[in-house]
Amino acid sequence: MIKRLAKSRGLRRFMRSKIAMAALAVIGLYFAIAILVGVFRVITPADATVRVLPSRYPGFLQTPTLDKRFEVAQWFIDRVETKLNFAERRKTDVRPLLDELALVERTVAELPPERLRQLIDEAWEVSDEAGEGFDLRDDLLDDLDDATRELASHRDPDTDTATLRPVEELRAFIQGKRAEVQASSGEIDSALTRLEAVVLRIQPLPTGWAGMKYTFRTFLGSDYGGSSISINAFYSIKVAFQVGIVTATICVFIGTVLGAAAAFFGGWVDHTVMWLVSTMSSIPYLVLLAVLVYMFRGTYFDTTSNPFLSLVPLYTAFCLTFWVGTCRVIRGEVLKIKELEYVQAATSIGFGRFYILLRHVVPNATHLMFINFSLLVIGAIKSEVILTFLGLGVKGQPSWGRMIANGQQEVINFAFWEIGSATVLMFGLVLVFNIVSDALQDAFDPKHVT
Amino acid sequence: MTQPVAQPLLTPDRTNGQPLLIVENLVKHFPVRGGVFNRVVGHVHAVNGVSFSINRGETIGVVGESGCGKSTLGKCVIRLQPCTSGKILYEGADITSLSHADMMPYRRKMQIIFQDPYSSLNPRLTVNALLREAIKFHHIVPTSEINDYIVHLIETVGLRPDVRSKFPHEFSGGQRQRLGIARALAVKPEFIVADEPVSALDVSIQAQVLNLLMDLKDKFGLTLLFVSHDLKVIEHFCDRVLVMYLGNLVEELRCDKLHDEALHPYTTALLGANPINDPDQRRPLVVLEGDVPSPFNPPIGCAFAGRCPKVMERCRHEMPPLESKDHGQRVACWAVD
Repeated sequence: MIKRLAKSRGLRRFMRSKIAMAALAVIGLYFAIAILVGVFRVITPADATVRVLPSRYPGFLQTPTLDKRFEVAQWFIDRVETKLNFAERRKTDVRPLLDELALVERTVAELPPERLRQLIDEAWEVSDEAGEGFDLRDDLLDDLDDATRELASHRDPDTDTATLRPVEELRAFIQGKRAEVQASSGEIDSALTRLEAVVLRIQPLPTGWAGMKYTFRTFLGSDYGGSSISINAFYSIKVAFQVGIVTATICVFIGTVLGAAAAFFGGWVDHTVMWLVSTMSSIPYLVLLAVLVYMFRGTYFDTTSNPFLSLVPLYTAFCLTFWVGTCRVIRGEVLKIKELEYVQAATSIGFGRFYILLRHVVPNATHLMFINFSLLVIGAIKSEVILTFLGLGVKGQPSWGRMIANGQQEVINFAFWEIGSATVLMFGLVLVFNIVSDALQDAFDPKHVT
Repeated sequence: MTQPVAQPLLTPDRTNGQPLLIVENLVKHFPVRGGVFNRVVGHVHAVNGVSFSINRGETIGVVGESGCGKSTLGKCVIRLQPCTSGKILYEGADITSLSHADMMPYRRKMQIIFQDPYSSLNPRLTVNALLREAIKFHHIVPTSEINDYIVHLIETVGLRPDVRSKFPHEFSGGQRQRLGIARALAVKPEFIVADEPVSALDVSIQAQVLNLLMDLKDKFGLTLLFVSHDLKVIEHFCDRVLVMYLGNLVEELRCDKLHDEALHPYTTALLGANPINDPDQRRPLVVLEGDVPSPFNPPIGCAFAGRCPKVMERCRHEMPPLESKDHGQRVACWAVD
């Protein structure tokens, strides 16, 4: 079978397409990640929900503002101090309490409580300094604001210009204030840098292998709950692949069996199958999917604890809906093939109808199965994301749909990685599958001239 | 390892006087469906009551223009298509409505060679697989000898044995047609319907394939029903010829008498349309006017009446019966006495 496939012209033509080979390589990369996550459990669903950073921490390409840095540093100091105070009041050992604060690999430094207290006091000092800097800067900004408004009033014909400062003076004043704000920002920046250094001593960054893992977790920042965006995005690859491949396999199977049977046997088989096909395709598919998924509400499969069981409603909805396209295509092809002379020759030899169907008819429609498989993978992934976005799809594990749904509020604050990573990864996957489907079509469809 | 099968695949039995195949009043109508409820709105009259018989070892040509039902006749005779009415007797046994299982021994005896060498071979099967499945299905030779038998078959049709592992797309049209012949021969048949086996080939290849068919016919004592629209090929190849027009058999005569004794105006017109490769020889040219009537709604009288140069008033109302003449000739025409 493999040897026969390797010899086929279609496959050779497919291999010659460089862009398709590149797309296949990308699919391979995605697939490798999906296998690592799904089979070797490199990332577990728990990893995706655990807190790794303060909430909405900016990631790669996003420079945190001074206010954000201040907030984050205070968050770090505050939570350590709370635990220290708590331990002091209750007279208990502080170490287990501090271990609770660990951000996965990033634990609180192994220092005696007195030393930690000392560091925190030092941090608060620097923090106050930074706070003063912020106050000063706020005043300066207020002045700058007033002056800008005054300058604007000069252009308003209704205002009495006599009460206002002259324009030249105002311009000079604004320029001076701007320089001061810059200088004060520089001071805040240096104070914050010192503050962050102290924070790093209290809760140092992990080094070595743990450091690399921590960098991977944090390089896209965190979402509202402080969990890692990158982990969520990569875990979703596994979910997408799982839904895509399971659905596509089942749908291609159902579609081929029904389509081939309908075309080859005709009569009432054909009528029944085509009635089903036209009925299914007359219902808007998103509505149908939503209804089918809703039917599983409150059943055994409505669970968040078992990641496989919770996907069963999705599989069911997709498999009941998506076989229709494949069925129609295969039926058309089989209708064509069954009239060809080699099928008549097989009849004249005396082979049974099932033998002819399986040996002479269906193998000549395999190219359509390949093309439909890759198209169905795309369709299933997109539908999974849409349904999850609407809150009907994947439960108990991350999905691009959930990330997009959560991320839409964050985008206003320039926190684009939650929506961005989900969209980019999904776009990439759908794009490469599209390229591969196209190349398959070009390679295997004799009527398609390239 | 190669152990050539010396004896012929089939010993011809020419002693028995009984015809191998008798076709009685064969009718094939294709229903035409239409309308909202997909009702049958009429029939295409592809074959209208054709009767003939074929003796063992004989080659019969069927000639006629496109759409006259000659291919349908060939396919009905070997029961690739069910016929509407009529009888097909093979070696005296009625095979018209045998079930799939009862038909099995006759399937082995009757084979077909198709017109289009490009669609008559499954593109997914190698030559080896193609021949092997038929041989195994009918247990033609013991399993241990299948490979030798395949090699023998391939050599018989004039190909090299190393083509066994190739796929059909690696062959030219003529080679494919040879493979089609090999497949038909694989089950050691007695009777072969050749459905325009050379009309899709180049003229030079046509001659090769025809010569091959002739050799094989003699070698294996085959009986052939040779469907063609080329009277030259039929004349060269066949013992008798059946001329069909719009699903009707209009004339049957021996090929060696074709030029001298053809009586039906349609046969003469067909003969006249063939160029003679002698520039000095002249013969009256009959150019047919008009077009073939629709088989969906055939005329009441003689189907050829609309185009016939010898048409009489009677032809338009009454269908002429097929009347026997000398030398087994039969003709259906009012103008012939």
